[in-house]
Amino acid sequence: MSHTKVLLVDDEVEFASALAERLQMRDYDVKTASNGLEAMAIFHGSPPDIVILDLRIPGMDGLEILKNIKIFDPTIEVLILTGHGDIESVAEGMKSGAFEYIMKPIDIGELTSKIDMAMKKRISSRD
Amino acid sequence: MTDNFEQELRFLQLRFIGKILAGFTHESKNYLAIIKESAGLIDDMIKLGKSGEAASSQFLEIIHSIEEQIERSTGLFKYLNRFSHRMDTQLSAFNCNEALEELMALVNRFANQKRIELAKDFQQDMPQIYGNPSMVQFLVFSFLEEIIKTLDKNSRIIIKTGTANGSVMIKIITDGNLLEVEREKEEFPYETYSTVLKRLNGKITLEAGAKTFTFPLKVSDI
Amino acid sequence: MEQGNTKKKRLLDFVKPWLNAHDLFGIVSEDRYKRLRLRIVLLDAVLSMIPLLIVVTISYFWFLQILKDDFRNQMKWEIENSKQSIEFFVDQKLSGLRFLTSAYTYEQLSDQETLAGIFSKFKQECGGLVDLGIITPDGIQRSYVGPYNLKGKDYTNQDWFHEVIVRSVYVSDVFMGYRKLPHFAIAVKRENPGKGTFWILRATIDMETLKKYPYSMNLRENDDAFIITYDGTLQTPSRSHGNVLEKYNLPFSLHARATTIQDIIKPDGSPAIFGYAFINDSPWILVTIIKSNPYLKIPKIFKNELFIITLLSIIFSIALTFALAHTVVNRIKKADREREEAMASCEHASKMSTIGRLAAGVAHEINNPLAIINEKAGLMKDILEASGDLQKNRDKFINQINGIFDSVNRCRTITHRLLGFSRRMEISHDAFDFNDALKEVIGFIEKEILYRNITLNLNLADNIPKIESDKGQLQQVILNIINNAIDAVEEGGLIEVASGSKDINTVRVSIKDNGSGIPRDELKHIFEPFYSTKEKGKGTGLGLSISYGIMQKLGGTIHVDSEAGKGTTFTLEIPKKIGEG
Repeated sequence: MSHTKVLLVDDEVEFASALAERLQMRDYDVKTASNGLEAMAIFHGSPPDIVILDLRIPGMDGLEILKNIKIFDPTIEVLILTGHGDIESVAEGMKSGAFEYIMKPIDIGELTSKIDMAMKKRISSRD
Repeated sequence: MTDNFEQELRFLQLRFIGKILAGFTHESKNYLAIIKESAGLIDDMIKLGKSGEAASSQFLEIIHSIEEQIERSTGLFKYLNRFSHRMDTQLSAFNCNEALEELMALVNRFANQKRIELAKDFQQDMPQIYGNPSMVQFLVFSFLEEIIKTLDKNSRIIIKTGTANGSVMIKIITDGNLLEVEREKEEFPYETYSTVLKRLNGKITLEAGAKTFTFPLKVSDI
Repeated sequence: MEQGNTKKKRLLDFVKPWLNAHDLFGIVSEDRYKRLRLRIVLLDAVLSMIPLLIVVTISYFWFLQILKDDFRNQMKWEIENSKQSIEFFVDQKLSGLRFLTSAYTYEQLSDQETLAGIFSKFKQECGGLVDLGIITPDGIQRSYVGPYNLKGKDYTNQDWFHEVIVRSVYVSDVFMGYRKLPHFAIAVKRENPGKGTFWILRATIDMETLKKYPYSMNLRENDDAFIITYDGTLQTPSRSHGNVLEKYNLPFSLHARATTIQDIIKPDGSPAIFGYAFINDSPWILVTIIKSNPYLKIPKIFKNELFIITLLSIIFSIALTFALAHTVVNRIKKADREREEAMASCEHASKMSTIGRLAAGVAHEINNPLAIINEKAGLMKDILEASGDLQKNRDKFINQINGIFDSVNRCRTITHRLLGFSRRMEISHDAFDFNDALKEVIGFIEKEILYRNITLNLNLADNIPKIESDKGQLQQVILNIINNAIDAVEEGGLIEVASGSKDINTVRVSIKDNGSGIPRDELKHIFEPFYSTKEKGKGTGLGLSISYGIMQKLGGTIHVDSEAGKGTTFTLEIPKKIGEG
């Protein structure tokens, strides 16, 4: 979907920038944050539609951030990034309101379709 | 001063893990090497000023190869992860197929060295077993290792799972010629493994004629 | 040559034992159990024997007492018996006389001829009769038959004459009479009915008949029985206490009228049993002196039997104790083994768990760099597809490629960790420089040594070639020993490490400290699992036993030499190739 505002929260800068660029090339409006504080700052600045969040970031616990987002605006959908075999955090994330999860390394096609579905949901729930 | 059998067993088990981890490391190193080479190749291509359609398509091929290696690596590490977690506890409920799958993924390399194919023939919907999964992997591996040593090149090993009479059954079927291998100092400690299996409430039956080893293991009540 | 070497080796083994903990270690644990067994046996045997011996002793003396009492009762009975016989004898004689006085009148009896006739008849019936005489109230013997010339004798001054007037009956004590033989006299008074006068009939009896009564008692060698008067004059001949009419010294004054048995000490110091009884109506006391202790013969037999039984019991109980101790100690041994096994099993499980976690950690960590490579590759793909030509975004591409290189390196580092601990699982046979390995270990504890002001002297030989063994495990052993040395010397001590070639196949390293040392009796135990000389809570006591096990696995040896207060030296010998030496 065009110009869906995406916030990518991941402490691996190399990864985040490459992914952000790829998404930009696919017409997503992407901002990146490498920790919770940065993420929340961006939030209060210009809130995104979708958040792609790596749960394992240091500082503010990934799950905390997810909960905070949901409190801030429950219509903002969150996709959680996870490494293989991290089943527990995925379950927790889903319980705390994440829309979907996606495993690293990412399949870009899978990611974009999930972002779109999340966006659809957000739009319908906003109305 | 402890029971020598127990000591021996622990030692063998640790050696098994060491082998798996080492084998695994080497395999992942291979993938990384390929990735590095591929990246290096692209680097060269660009720096050499290559351009045009041919270059572009080669470029895409290389990228594809990198992505492939990544996928393989990811898969490998996924198995490593599962394998590692099994070492946490001595007793747990586990799915036999999954445990064997990991093992096979991590043992593939040994088989490949001799161009021996490792195939699986798993029964779907296997019930869970209650036992020591790491130990089961160790046992199967020990037999596999021995078999691989004695099999000729280009042979095949099929690992088959199924249920029979309330037990889970793991069958190792060999398909190929046996080599006359010079016996090292230590004979294959069949007795040791047999005892270990007994502890897991299982037993080994050897069908030398058909070259199948069967380990029936009891099914859990879960 | 081979045999010579074996013999030499055996001789060395014989000589070395107390110096070489390695040779000792093979039997040390057994030794501990042997001593425990011995202790249990001794303790148990002693404890079980005490009540046995108490019971036996008490029984013995109790039995002895019973026999003694029994014997005394017997003696009493015999004395009683004899006393009664003597009394009967006397009574009989008196009856005889009384009969005569009632059967015959004074006139008859005072006739000499009649008296002689009666005398000879009476003599036939009454044994021992020596003479017979009639005495009138004035004290004169009117008629007399007998061997003496006593007719007309005047008895008024004699005590017995007055006594017989009063008592009507008299028995005399023994005196020397006819033919210098001992006799005694008896007399009865006969009242004249109606006349108020009396006369006395007197007879002398020889002592032969009296003699037989004490003699009839059941006497054994060393025993004696005789009759005495109240003042101790013997009336019958005794075996060993004097002859008739000799004085016998009474050991104590006799006054009890009933038969009495008493223990005495004879003049010569020997113990005896003294029994006596007053003989009624006579001046006599029957005395029995028993020196023989026939009742002791029985105890002797009893003693022998008792001794045999006790001995058998003791043997049996010791045998039983041995069996028990053996069982108990075996149980303890088994329990110890099981405990060791449990600890080893625990250690193993925790080791597995740690490896598992480490490996899983690696698997997790690697996700990120892999993801990065994936994204960058993907990005490059996207860019090319968008721009169409390789050179258009060349800088961008190069950037991404560099990023990929970095991530690959990162992956390498992460997986290398995996290789690191996979290597620890097996004994590696890699060749390495021994001194370098030593120096590495020293590097680990350098800070500790500095901090504690310990002087470290390194004396590493130059010419040690590379050895093929497990560097990591060897370092683990050396580290363990050095740490122990550091703990032993505490502040300002000295540790000396020396390395060299023992022979063409073996490398040797010694670690010497000048710390508190290990006492000789503890030395034997230090390689045992769970044995620790450190305070409770410090160390598991497993360090040296694990080190010992490692050295064994590597085909080497570990020796210790130490003296309390002087310091300790550990010596390791490692074959240059595992499996040899």
